[in-house]
Amino acid sequence: MNPSLLQSDHLLSLLLAVPALGAFVVLFMPRQWTRALRLTSVGFMLAEFGLSFSLLSADYSDGGYHFVEKVSWIETWGISYHLGVDGISLWLVFLTTLLTPIALFVSWTSIKTKVKEYALAFLMLELAMLGAFVSLDLFLFYVFWELMLVPMYFIIGVWGGAQRVYAAVKFFIYTMVGSLLMLVAILYLVGAYHQVAGHYSFDLLELRHLIIPRGTQIWLFLAFILAFAIKVPMFPFHTWLPDAHTQAPTGGSVILAAVMLKLGIYGFLRFAMPLFPLASQLIGPTIALFGIIGIIYGAWAAWVQKDAKKLVAYSSVSHMGFIALGLFAMTEHGVNGALLQMLNHGVSTGALFILVGVIYERRHTRLFSEFGGLAKVMPWYALFFVIVALSSIGLPGTNGFVGEFMILVGTFTSNAEVGFGPWGRVFTLFAATGVIFAAVYMLHAVLKIFWGPITHKANEALADLSFREVAALLPLMGLIFWIGLYPATFLDRSEDAVNHFVQDFTAKYDASKLDDSLRLWGVPPAAAEAVADNPAPGDAPSVVADAAGGAR
Amino acid sequence: MSELLYERALIWIILLPLFGAILNGLFGRFANKDIVSALGVGSVAASFGLALICFAHLMTGMGASEQGTQIAVTAYQWFHISLPTVGGVHEVAIDVRFLMDALSGLMTLVVTGVGLVIHIYSLGYMKDDPGYARFFAYLNLFLASMLILVLGSNLPVMFVGWEGVGLCSYLLIGFWYQTPEFAAAGKKAFIANRIGDFGVLIGMFILVSAVGSFEFADINHAAPALTQPFFLGSWQLGTLATAAALFLFLGCTGKSAQIPLYVWLPDAMAGPTPVSALIHAATMVTAGVYLTCRLSPVFLESPTAMAVIAVIGSMTALVAASIAVAQNEMKKILAYSTVSQLGFMFAAVGVGAFSAGFFHVFTHAFFKACLFLAAGSVMHAVGSHSDADIFKLGGLRKIMPRTHAAFLLASLSIAGVPLFAGFFSKDEILLGAAELAYAPEPFSANWVGWFVLIVLGIAATLTAFYMFRMYFLAFWGDYRSAEGGPEAHDSDGHHAYDPNPHESPGSMTWPLLILGSGALVVGWLGLPHEWGLPNWWAGWMSHSIASVPVVEAAEGAEAGISLPFVTSMVFGLTAVTVGIGAAFKLYFNRSDDRFRDAMPRGLYQLMADKWRVDELYQRVLLRPLAALAAFVGWIDQTFVDMLLTRIPSQLALLSGFVATRIQNGRVYTYGAVMSVGLALVTWYFVVPRPLLDAETEGATASFEAAAGMGYAYRWDFDSDGTWDAPLQEHGESFGADRSPSHEYGPEALKSHVLLIAQEDGDDARFVLTDEPQPLPESLLPAGWMEDPSVGATPPSAFFDGERVILRRNSAVVATTGALVTEELIPLSMGERLLLGRLDTNRTSIRVGGLVEATVEVENSFGNRARQSVELVVNVPPERPEADAQASLTTTRDEVLR
Repeated sequence: MNPSLLQSDHLLSLLLAVPALGAFVVLFMPRQWTRALRLTSVGFMLAEFGLSFSLLSADYSDGGYHFVEKVSWIETWGISYHLGVDGISLWLVFLTTLLTPIALFVSWTSIKTKVKEYALAFLMLELAMLGAFVSLDLFLFYVFWELMLVPMYFIIGVWGGAQRVYAAVKFFIYTMVGSLLMLVAILYLVGAYHQVAGHYSFDLLELRHLIIPRGTQIWLFLAFILAFAIKVPMFPFHTWLPDAHTQAPTGGSVILAAVMLKLGIYGFLRFAMPLFPLASQLIGPTIALFGIIGIIYGAWAAWVQKDAKKLVAYSSVSHMGFIALGLFAMTEHGVNGALLQMLNHGVSTGALFILVGVIYERRHTRLFSEFGGLAKVMPWYALFFVIVALSSIGLPGTNGFVGEFMILVGTFTSNAEVGFGPWGRVFTLFAATGVIFAAVYMLHAVLKIFWGPITHKANEALADLSFREVAALLPLMGLIFWIGLYPATFLDRSEDAVNHFVQDFTAKYDASKLDDSLRLWGVPPAAAEAVADNPAPGDAPSVVADAAGGAR
Repeated sequence: MSELLYERALIWIILLPLFGAILNGLFGRFANKDIVSALGVGSVAASFGLALICFAHLMTGMGASEQGTQIAVTAYQWFHISLPTVGGVHEVAIDVRFLMDALSGLMTLVVTGVGLVIHIYSLGYMKDDPGYARFFAYLNLFLASMLILVLGSNLPVMFVGWEGVGLCSYLLIGFWYQTPEFAAAGKKAFIANRIGDFGVLIGMFILVSAVGSFEFADINHAAPALTQPFFLGSWQLGTLATAAALFLFLGCTGKSAQIPLYVWLPDAMAGPTPVSALIHAATMVTAGVYLTCRLSPVFLESPTAMAVIAVIGSMTALVAASIAVAQNEMKKILAYSTVSQLGFMFAAVGVGAFSAGFFHVFTHAFFKACLFLAAGSVMHAVGSHSDADIFKLGGLRKIMPRTHAAFLLASLSIAGVPLFAGFFSKDEILLGAAELAYAPEPFSANWVGWFVLIVLGIAATLTAFYMFRMYFLAFWGDYRSAEGGPEAHDSDGHHAYDPNPHESPGSMTWPLLILGSGALVVGWLGLPHEWGLPNWWAGWMSHSIASVPVVEAAEGAEAGISLPFVTSMVFGLTAVTVGIGAAFKLYFNRSDDRFRDAMPRGLYQLMADKWRVDELYQRVLLRPLAALAAFVGWIDQTFVDMLLTRIPSQLALLSGFVATRIQNGRVYTYGAVMSVGLALVTWYFVVPRPLLDAETEGATASFEAAAGMGYAYRWDFDSDGTWDAPLQEHGESFGADRSPSHEYGPEALKSHVLLIAQEDGDDARFVLTDEPQPLPESLLPAGWMEDPSVGATPPSAFFDGERVILRRNSAVVATTGALVTEELIPLSMGERLLLGRLDTNRTSIRVGGLVEATVEVENSFGNRARQSVELVVNVPPERPEADAQASLTTTRDEVLR
């Protein structure tokens, strides 16, 4: 590829263009050319993965956005095509570009019908996910956010299991309901901005300077949170997940767990928390509490599952609870740990779904009762599975430990007003029991699948991992130990953005609080505006939404 | 050699077995057995060699400085966290850093040395196993993890090893994974260990948040500051030291098999015997003792934690020993014996004799590894895979002379026969307890000393008894499973054991003899100080381990016979004499269980059933938890899913269903719908609704009632019973004005209210009377006043006829920046006061007047409806003596700007 193009200012556009171009090419290929279709789509995705390495050329230590592109799109409404990547979204972009080809690659043989459409759906999905991670305009983000649903809906509904239509519709409606409320909240926010600034804007970097009265913040925050909490999914909005996972084909499950769930947390981090700091501080501990319930509840529910894929799905609920906890701890290492744990979960759970897919492809069942003693016939498979399972339960030396450890320390030391106050330690005590329960359900799964004598005749001649499967898993294995032993590669690039996020949040929280108490005092908004100028460390002056105009 | 080379060597001590594990694990399956053996044993031998070199270097430098010599090396920074401090954030690095001092150096020698011997033994023991390469891979991985645990210089790195050894233990217990019970035992061990790991994590967090470092050296240095209280939420739970020590000790009970988490260790004997010897006797299970020694200054800061450890340790020693006397299988007896001996070590730690506890770790590694390997040698000889029943053995003294010799040496050692290693280390422990028991006044925990002394005395007696019971039954008399012997056939008529046992090969017996001689000689490193003999051990340890003042005082004393020393000797020698004597009397050259026959049947059965603790845990813990999990799984599929998916979807379906039913084209359906609609419309028109809304601005209130067909209104603004608009002249009169305004005067007020701004943006109303009433705490922001429960005056307010007087709390209160010094704060209507401390939440308080207004609506049907509303208005104050407050008001104004 032309090196000057790589250094161009349009790197992110290029990143979005590659899967789009791939989809375009695949669209015009004859459907009988299954082999060519697979090669082409994976080829485009690998090119995309390669291209994402040029993102590393920027220096992320300023905590700001890089490769920013901004083009006005619908001028009257202040909608722009605004892209940018910082230390927070950087690794999520990598996660997407790495796992999409792997997910397609492992489905190489299991998907035999409508290969063309399958490849198209994956390319579309990659485009939408990347778009959502790099959008800095709320409208643009919303477009990508909703665009994700479509290919995933078809992936589950067309190539899924026996109850695929039920699962697909459930997935679609669940997520749709949440996002509609978010849309309403976005429109309200833009209206409030218009009241103050005199023009409309969907630009995150402009909207985040808006200081919104407490009551309004709470409602808007709740609307955003619902959309994201469903996507994460957080207890009790998780019930679409086990169905979607069990019905989705392996590739779909991998993408769903590894990347799409991350968008929920990313939404908290990028939108809901910076826009509504007062509300998120007020409601954050409650969300963290639901996270803790999710940790324990998810682990218990995982323990009693009879289907391996369901077990992994519930383990996701448990893990995502940890991530939410770390995020709302609002300590630098808590948030950084949450971010790292997003990567870890993507790697480990992605690998687990691939591994469960391996035995499903051989036996067309995932019930534990159908297995046992596989360590004897599939030693490599057993080795890979045990390593991934151990990383999932956070054994030191693997990736899971670093993330979990940072989250738990972050929660334990989250004693300030911004954070959990006196509850940090109590939260840690309960959340840390998840460490025990994780071992319980994971070792249960390992015991059921691998140890003991072989009880089913069909298992006696199972083939061990094929070269293709090993090739798909090896990068993930490498990451498990890389992140576990030398996380600095990843943390060094994200921590400045995270620190920036925490400081920004705290400053804006203080500004909102001051504004709120002045409002209580009956000080006219003009005075409040003057006050709000100082604490905001951003590049544009803060604007204060008028309570009367915005809220009532 | 330069310092750098030693640092390199330190890293290679760990890396060598790790590479051995990786190579054997990945490729051993395809390789020649000799290569696997060379790799497995060679890497450990090299590691042991390096450890010896490093330790020798330490010894030569010992005493050169106060701290003693150390070899420390930082490989790289793993990750870091940032703790919030007063002045910003404090970055806490978590380095991959290793440190060898006397404590970790000796432990490293034990791990690699005993590990090497056991590796060599395994060459013979595992010769024909199909998982030969896998076995050595796991064993090497274990050694690497154990070395990380021991050499790690901070808590997280230690924790890597701590969980790593747990993993290897899991893998090795379930090594013969095709037997479901073995795999289940592995799982049980891992989960029990994880419960402990939870404790270690929390302990670690407490320490780092208090000290700001994970390094052992920093934590120990800062230990005296850990006496501050530890808060969990708003509850105070002891001091930081107590909380940290007890959470860490929870970890120790898991790893080192103490009450209540010891139950995994006996089951762990399902693994191959070398594993039992190495992991579940000599090294891994002593990690808890190592950790407490490593952090001894922290533990010393908490007498509570020390007492807990002493009591739990000695109770574990006793309970496990009482189970061991009633078991018949060699490995089972040795397993409970291990639990019991670990109890001895913790009892030592608990009475503050850290050095003695760690000395016992050291000697125990030799004699217990020897005993396990000897049991393995016996099993190998009689052809049993799982265990060896001592009642089916006998006479092995002549058949297996080398195994016998080693077993005897180790048994004498563990029983505590003088001059053997176990005698010296056990005596040190008893001495520590006795010193605490006789300690003068400032050490008030004497009862702990006596308790430990007596309980350990009994446990030591039992130890000598069960060891020699096993020894006499297995090695004396005649071989009972021989062809024609009493136990030759089991109930199915099969040969239970090989009728012609034979001595094991040299690769197995030589390690036995090495360890057996170790069981004799290693105790001489720590000869009793009181005999005027050199105690090298205590000298080494003094650089790494803190000691309690009482022990320090005793050690500083002149060599000589002291009262505690005599007491401990009496306890120790009585125990060994009584124990061995009883075993000799009951079992020498006999084959029946005379102890069982002499005991009450029920009690013996309980002991044989391990006090049924496993069953108890099953019943009160595991089954309820499993039931709970099953319940959660069920409720998730039914209830949660129903609430969020099925009910909404059913509602959507239902509405569609209803809509289609109505649109069914039948006239009577439409008729029914129409009449229902008509009824609703009628009701809407016939009943009037005032829907009164009001807003106030100063003293003026503007009202608005709903408009409606033929509505007429009348107003009573002060709810005094007379209609004010239109003015009531004769009887009833309604007007058309639906949105009047009214200006209130002081006479209309029902009462005065304090309006206190609340978090949610609304005002809370507090109605005043002319008697002072305390302001409810719930209405005020937290922290602005002193807690009335500690004797401070509660704030109160009343209306004195002209003004509202706020009597403030005795706390220092500021009004937006300026301090208020007056106790009584007069407030006029409409005046605002911002109350609260400078640094905490502030709230706005103002005075208003409460009025009530009523509207009545009449519609064209003549139906009436009435509605009242309470309003707070701001009636301009009539204050002739306004100058009295002038100064106060200006201050507030200044502040406001």
